[in-house]
Amino acid sequence: KASHQWPGGKGDVRDEMVQILAREVAKADVGVEIKVYPGQSLFKANEQWGAMTKGQLDISAFPLDYASGRHPQFSATLMPGLVRNHDRATRLNTSPFMDDIKKIVNDAGVVVIADAWLAGGFASKKQCITSPETMQGQVTRAAGPAFEQMLVGAGASISSMPSSEIYTGLQTGVLDAANTSSGSFVSYRLYEQTTCLTAPGANALWFMYEPILMSKRSWDKLSKEQQDALMAAGKVAQDYFAGEAKGLDDKMIKTFKDAGVEVVEMSAEDYDAWLAIAKETSYKNFSENVPGGEDLIAKALAVD
Amino acid sequence: MTPMLWGAGVLVGLLALLAVGTPIAFALGLVSILALILADGWGSVSILGETFFGGLASFGLVSIPMFILMGAAVASSPAGKDLYEALDRWLNRVPGGLVLSNLGACSIFAALSGSSPATCAAIGKMGIPEMTKRGYPNEIAAGSIAAGGTLGILIPPSVTMIVYGIATETSIGRLFLAGLLPGVMLTALFMAWTIYDCRRRGVGLDMLGRRFSFRERLEVLPRVLPFLGIIAAILYVLYGGVATPSEAAGVGALFCLIFVAVIYRLWKLSLYSSLFRDTLKESVMIMMIIGASELFSFALSSLFITQTIAEWISLLDVNKWVLMAIINAFLLFAGFFLPPVAVILMTAPILLPIIIQAGFDPYWFAVVLTINMEIGLITPPVGLNLYVINGIAPNITLGEILRGSIPYVGCMVVGIVLLCLMPEIALWLPNLLMGPAL
Amino acid sequence: MSFYITAVSAVSRFFGLIAMVLTGSAALVVTHMVIVRYFLGGSTVWQTEYVIYALVAATFLGSPYVLLNKGHVNVDLLQLRAAPAGRRILQTLSALAGISFCALLAWSGWVYFHEAWSFGWRTSTVWAIPLWIPLLPLPVGVGLMVLQYIAEIIKIQGGAR
Ligand code: NA
Ligand code: NA
Repeated sequence: KASHQWPGGKGDVRDEMVQILAREVAKADVGVEIKVYPGQSLFKANEQWGAMTKGQLDISAFPLDYASGRHPQFSATLMPGLVRNHDRATRLNTSPFMDDIKKIVNDAGVVVIADAWLAGGFASKKQCITSPETMQGQVTRAAGPAFEQMLVGAGASISSMPSSEIYTGLQTGVLDAANTSSGSFVSYRLYEQTTCLTAPGANALWFMYEPILMSKRSWDKLSKEQQDALMAAGKVAQDYFAGEAKGLDDKMIKTFKDAGVEVVEMSAEDYDAWLAIAKETSYKNFSENVPGGEDLIAKALAVD
Repeated sequence: MTPMLWGAGVLVGLLALLAVGTPIAFALGLVSILALILADGWGSVSILGETFFGGLASFGLVSIPMFILMGAAVASSPAGKDLYEALDRWLNRVPGGLVLSNLGACSIFAALSGSSPATCAAIGKMGIPEMTKRGYPNEIAAGSIAAGGTLGILIPPSVTMIVYGIATETSIGRLFLAGLLPGVMLTALFMAWTIYDCRRRGVGLDMLGRRFSFRERLEVLPRVLPFLGIIAAILYVLYGGVATPSEAAGVGALFCLIFVAVIYRLWKLSLYSSLFRDTLKESVMIMMIIGASELFSFALSSLFITQTIAEWISLLDVNKWVLMAIINAFLLFAGFFLPPVAVILMTAPILLPIIIQAGFDPYWFAVVLTINMEIGLITPPVGLNLYVINGIAPNITLGEILRGSIPYVGCMVVGIVLLCLMPEIALWLPNLLMGPAL
Repeated sequence: MSFYITAVSAVSRFFGLIAMVLTGSAALVVTHMVIVRYFLGGSTVWQTEYVIYALVAATFLGSPYVLLNKGHVNVDLLQLRAAPAGRRILQTLSALAGISFCALLAWSGWVYFHEAWSFGWRTSTVWAIPLWIPLLPLPVGVGLMVLQYIAEIIKIQGGAR
């Protein structure tokens, strides 16, 4: 059983990644069949981690940060400014930083089958968001507490709501701006309600680690041959994703431009200014409250 | 075992548990966990707690207890009586005038309450005794309140629309707007039937009620103003960019509590304990059903029953209106036995993709679904409004209530047909105010 | 026997009262949040989460009280039509079904709570409170449901004599 939270069969890249995994494993003909349950049709997004550790769910495409309540270190996988761009994300995958993260994943009883980093950005109906000053006074919906801390540090105020309510929030004026993934910006048609998009580009603050994971209990039940087939299929899915990840950003930029929305990127100076704020807010919090937190951030920033 | 066999087993088990009188929440929960244990072993019990808790811990659901609290606050004041008395001064020369006043009061109260039983109770407590006192047959008195009460979930705010919005990831604000005009339309249909029925029976040209002068009619208007004020305030909070639906619900609830204390100078502790008790009873009942429905849909999906049914329906190559008729019949049937929240949570995730594929609008469908659920509220064996009226008017028999509400069920069916012919009744307002839907 | 019923009912009423207070507090906190954000332009950190968990707690803690007041809606068509002896059987069966579910849910909720407690899990938000706090009402409230159901069964059987 494979579960994830995105719409199934509609070309969502993360759904496609899981479908590829299922197809490749079926092709290998090792007696493993993966049934995909998309769109939270089995487990709610947040419940997938617990179900995997208990062996009640076999596979999930899972935003690792969702389990940060159990393993606070996972917040580093949705930490502002740690990744910066897609090329760096690829290098990060094989870095000591990710070794540490994957060790925690393994110790919790979960195996990583395929890596995936998703980029995202900001959009506003008030003012383009580039430097931290542009954020001042905007009511924003942020994805994840680390982002909330940094944005508050820049003078924004936060309104919490599920991503499905962002559209209405912008429309009714509850929100001035929102921060989420490139995919969500397009699928929730936020270009209809915003006037300026901050695309990821070379200096993106928002990256999220959304690997395909497998329950260790289910993994251990497989034969060596089956495990190998699964890992090989995972590699195919991972390569597919790496090819598509940038495409998601391009698609977002095109959709927003076609809708007449201004599209900007952050400059290196903007990025550094944000990092300075992050160091005083989210990084500081993370280093103080999470065992090994300081070390993790140092290792991530050390990747060139 | 095939998914269809599992499905049949779950259905039989559920019906058996319901038949002996198990509370709906626990029947849904028990049949789900038993099916999961049989299919996957005892390990399934380990996810029960997290799934149930996770099903309830959502900011969207916050609006349910809050809107119920809001309605209970207003219902505990003499507000309902004021409302229909004010309307009575304007309508008492029309055949069935007092009934019309009560229906009107129900529709206005529905704009202050998210639930139907609360709407029934608030207006019926004063309205039913007054109608019988003035010589209306029991059937008309009880039936009109039972039907008028159902407007509580169609005219915004609405608990069932909230649940639908969360289950289908549609905008709750937009759903609220979609329900408004159909709510007004149903009120008009109810009133038209009442006038016809009273004229036919020769009752209700209120000989007991006196003629009011124009001045007397004007005098009473200020008493209605506070309600209109609250309704306007809530609409402003919701659509004026102040807050999300959940937040508007909380603000509205507090506002109504203060309103009752200040305008009606009601400071008795017993009043507040009784209104909080009413709120707790209804919201806990609904929330437990929501948590259990979460388990139920998990079990159906895990056993691949949901997917198989959806596939089966999509392979049924029928005309889209035939499909809509089948779905309506199914929803009506489910509504006979189950309360609205349970039906919506169990069916919306299966039905919505099919509906959209067939080219129907999800907001329009929400309205049709809600009217179906309204019918379920006044039909046995589980008709929450029937119970409420039985409780507030013990001298009226269940049979009389039922006979009285049947014509109004007819009005609702007419309403559904009108909505099918003219979807704009539901869609015009949200499109006008919020632009085209996603 | 009647002491047991009195005691359990008193505990259910007590938790019912707590549930009412939690519900009222949620309305206050939501309003506070809207004022802080909309009128004062400030940020809100803990309010959303507090409101969610307060109302979930109200649901679990208030559930035994609602059972005591026959507020969990059911289909009583058959029960109403049955003769007194048959009705008692049906009522007992439905209560046993209710107990079975509540016992499983309370047990599973207890395990979940205990994991959150012993591993120090937190909610994944800025507030990051220990997860066991919002989880505790689940085993407590639903566990009390089992006790309250036993009281209801005693009442049903008592009606036979
Ligand atoms: Na309403
Ligand atoms: Na019914």
